[in-house]
Amino acid sequence: MADNTMTLSREEELKKRSRMTILRSFLPVIGLVVIFVVFNTLTGGRMVKKFSMTMSQIYVTMISATGVFFVMTMGGLDFSQGSILGMASIVVCLVSKKSIPLAVVAGIATGAAIGALNGFFYVNRKIKSFIVTICTMFLFRGIIKYLTSNAPVSGSAKLIMLNKDSLKLTCMLIVVVLGLIAFRYTRFGMYLKAIGAGEKAAKFAGIRTNKMKFLVYVLAGALTGFAAFINSIKVGSVTSSGGNQVETQILIALVLGGMPISGGAKARFMNVIVGSLLYVVLSSGLNMVGLSTQAQQLIQGVVFLVFVAVFADRESLRVIK
Amino acid sequence: MSEVRLQIQNLCKTFGITKAVQDVSFNINKGEVHALIGENGSGKSTLTNMLTGIYSIDSGHFILDGREIHPKNQVEANLEGVSIIVQELGTLSGLTVAENIFLGHESRFVKFGIKNTNAMNREAQSLLNQYGFGRIKASAMIDTYNFEDRKLVEIVKATYFKPKIVVIDETTTALSQEGREELYKQMNRIRDEGDTIIFISHDLPEVLRMSDTITCLRDGVYIDTVKSSDIDEEGLKKLMVGREVTGDYYRSDYGEKVSDTVVLSVDHVTVPGQIHDISFELHRGEILGFGGLSESGMHEIGKACFGASFDRTGTVKLADGTEINDIPTAIHHSVAYTSKDRDNESVVMNQSIGDNICLPSLDNLMKVPAIGILSDVKMKTFAQNYADEMSVKMVDTDQFVSELSGGNKQKVVLARWIGKNSDILVLDSPTRGIDIKVKQDIYQLMDKMRKQGKSIIMISEELMELIGMCDRILIMKDGQINGELMRSPDLDENSLIAKMV
Repeated sequence: MADNTMTLSREEELKKRSRMTILRSFLPVIGLVVIFVVFNTLTGGRMVKKFSMTMSQIYVTMISATGVFFVMTMGGLDFSQGSILGMASIVVCLVSKKSIPLAVVAGIATGAAIGALNGFFYVNRKIKSFIVTICTMFLFRGIIKYLTSNAPVSGSAKLIMLNKDSLKLTCMLIVVVLGLIAFRYTRFGMYLKAIGAGEKAAKFAGIRTNKMKFLVYVLAGALTGFAAFINSIKVGSVTSSGGNQVETQILIALVLGGMPISGGAKARFMNVIVGSLLYVVLSSGLNMVGLSTQAQQLIQGVVFLVFVAVFADRESLRVIK
Repeated sequence: MSEVRLQIQNLCKTFGITKAVQDVSFNINKGEVHALIGENGSGKSTLTNMLTGIYSIDSGHFILDGREIHPKNQVEANLEGVSIIVQELGTLSGLTVAENIFLGHESRFVKFGIKNTNAMNREAQSLLNQYGFGRIKASAMIDTYNFEDRKLVEIVKATYFKPKIVVIDETTTALSQEGREELYKQMNRIRDEGDTIIFISHDLPEVLRMSDTITCLRDGVYIDTVKSSDIDEEGLKKLMVGREVTGDYYRSDYGEKVSDTVVLSVDHVTVPGQIHDISFELHRGEILGFGGLSESGMHEIGKACFGASFDRTGTVKLADGTEINDIPTAIHHSVAYTSKDRDNESVVMNQSIGDNICLPSLDNLMKVPAIGILSDVKMKTFAQNYADEMSVKMVDTDQFVSELSGGNKQKVVLARWIGKNSDILVLDSPTRGIDIKVKQDIYQLMDKMRKQGKSIIMISEELMELIGMCDRILIMKDGQINGELMRSPDLDENSLIAKMV
């Protein structure tokens, strides 16, 4: 009798737990739908009508967020993304006067090089990733300001002629699909999750953790370098604030998407997609409703805090590396 | 009859779906060493952690000397007269020895808001001297001392204020022989002063030798309390497991010839500060044991063979001439390693059982090997098969390793390497903190693997298991090999200890 009730309640507990997990993983999706509906009602359907304008922000955010997602899965952080975007955009604009394909490659190379710098200090000098990337953020922000102090760096006219949604969408989809496959279906994702969940043990299971950590920072830089190309064809030139605060936008997007701050095995690639969508809908929605920039930032801050509070995995939360 | 010190009444505690302690009631007397025994996950540590304020109480009561207590943290527990020495490291890095000893009780040395560090150091040093640990300096940083000495500091920390109850939670497994003797001395002293010790240990002979009364728990349920003079080791095993323990424990064969084929040769290996100029050969189908004091460098031997040592010189070579200099090479060439530090180096704690088992074997679990696409189905069945083979107690392979008990974690690690089908296994303290049932499983597994022609290096602080399992035992002292003993029924602990110290 007593035994019976015990096993029953055990099953109930199990069910309850799996319900909670499902709820947690679908909360961002529910949030996305709710926010989308709310803003459409508030703006009288303007969001749907001007869908391509709403979405114009998403390409850069989602591509860069893919790289940062990898970094965060292995328990790191990257605050230098905005400066990487700015630097790579300058390079893309400058090189675009020679050749567009070369500009794409140069953008990616610039991003990868800054990523490699982050990776070097993080892995070889063993400095915590958020310290390193905050330093490189300021360093390259300074260089961007120096290069753009007299006039914005503008790209060639051919660059702006490429500004079509179809191209931007294709580029984004290629990155996202490749990212999804690599993360979900190859050992790359397994290794990243293992490093995030327990670096030392991952090393003892045969993962070359230092090499992985370094390469992931290079990859995150390269992806943002590629995003810089998309950014440049949209904007056409780079000012001193080019790429400013992109790092925070990415971080907010990932957390909104349900990404555990400490990374590890609970990271899902869905976090990138849903998070970027949610962030873009939220920010352009607030914009369309006609709120001032100050009010927008305030609301974003509140939403961010609420999501972090919901998604922080307190059991496995440690100091971020 | 002695007086009751602590009454435990209807105590319950659940963690999510696990009922760790269910309606447990019994009494603990003054002036006794009261042992708590049970298999891994039977609720021993959960119970004492509630008593000392580390976990909160779900329901039930602790009544200490007639008054109910429910401490919210360890400092409150100390004030009530209860202290604990934990299984793993219980001292805080970055503080001095004195600061560790008086952690949470600094107010004694504070006047007008200013801490009198000199007075604190003086007091701590005089305590250390009293205990006979005078070589430990109170003003030094705790980090300058090794695991063993830090444990001694913890003993002082937990007992200097004459608590009514001291909990000693599996501390002895982490200590070498000398450290244990020190601890036993303190235990006897506390008992003679009329206070109480709750002693948790998996080492049954030690339990029988040291304690007056023994309480057994099984799956969170109270089973029985017995006088240690009325019971023997077999009886205790029966209480713990719930049935007669049958079959072989250690190996029973003697005089079998080990193959001459060398599978691994270690040549002039030195790791600065750890081991010095070590050379030995491992043969096919051999179980080679390494024994010694925990600081003798024997644990580093395992890491060195696995390519995990820092700054290593000398060579570790396989039969085919492959040199092992890093972990991926070792794994790729069929060398496996389980660390003494299970939670940090063996299992990826916050990852699923399945992923933990599959990690080194991903090469064989591909759907499209050409572009490295993994197969979910293959991974799932692979993990399930080897978890079942090791009979890991789990909900399913998606469960996180962090939710498992120590013994089950070790099973996951072994399942991983059995799945990888490694030919050379380096097992560092494979049975540390594990109950007899799982120990027996591990010993049987080792014997089976040996017969299949696999070679095993077993590093252990438990001399009996070295004697029981190994074909050959190398004894380490001060980073060097200090003696070699061959398998023999006449071998006893004393002949090993003689070479260790």
